[in-house]
Amino acid sequence: MKEIYFTEENVAFNVEARDWEDAIYKGVALLKKNGCVNEHYATAVVNNVNEFGPYIVLSPGIAIPHTRPENGALKVGMSLITLKTPVFFKDTQEPVKVMISFSATDSEKHLNIIKVIVKIVEKGLIDQISQINSLADLNYLIREEQP
Amino acid sequence: MLKILVVCGAGLGSSFACQMSVESVLQDIGVKADLDHSDISSAAGTRADIIISGKNFESQFQRYDLPMDLIFLERLVDKAEIEEKLVPVLKAKGAL
Repeated sequence: MKEIYFTEENVAFNVEARDWEDAIYKGVALLKKNGCVNEHYATAVVNNVNEFGPYIVLSPGIAIPHTRPENGALKVGMSLITLKTPVFFKDTQEPVKVMISFSATDSEKHLNIIKVIVKIVEKGLIDQISQINSLADLNYLIREEQP
Repeated sequence: MLKILVVCGAGLGSSFACQMSVESVLQDIGVKADLDHSDISSAAGTRADIIISGKNFESQFQRYDLPMDLIFLERLVDKAEIEEKLVPVLKAKGAL
């Protein structure tokens, strides 16, 4: 279950990104640093978005970069970044401010990560998360969303 | 049982999240269904009564000419939008 907690290792605030592709690379870089994915994963996410459209934009303001396990996932994990300058994806009305990237090794094991993401979005916490500057504040804000 | 398939590009993030919101809507309105999630390339070959997906996939689905009901969402985890679009389909199918 430790994969569903936000720590100094998997969170970065006010990250600078030129555009949506750069933002995906920055978010996935944290997964790579933590040994969750290999160097191919970020490019696979970008290629998937180019092919299928912005399916990773789950709700206005939040994207959840991810791709198939065979595209470079090594273990289940997630990362969260907030963007200094929000980025637009093609065909989306509102810019993305928060990115929760994750890796999955099959279609079920990352269930707890998805649960946390859904709770955060359903509770409407994305705007607040986009303005947070510290890990303590983040974990306090989502304290009820984690078991 | 009614089978609902939720579809996204990779079949494990957005579709899985949407499945959870659909499950909770179905629970609220008291409809039982068999739910699953998958990626778009395997969706066309999967048996389902209803497919739910993101708006960005609409044009790709139309190419497949599928027999089941298709629902496209602007917001994948918006329970109000899911209920609004799903209820008429369930009623038409006699599931509600």
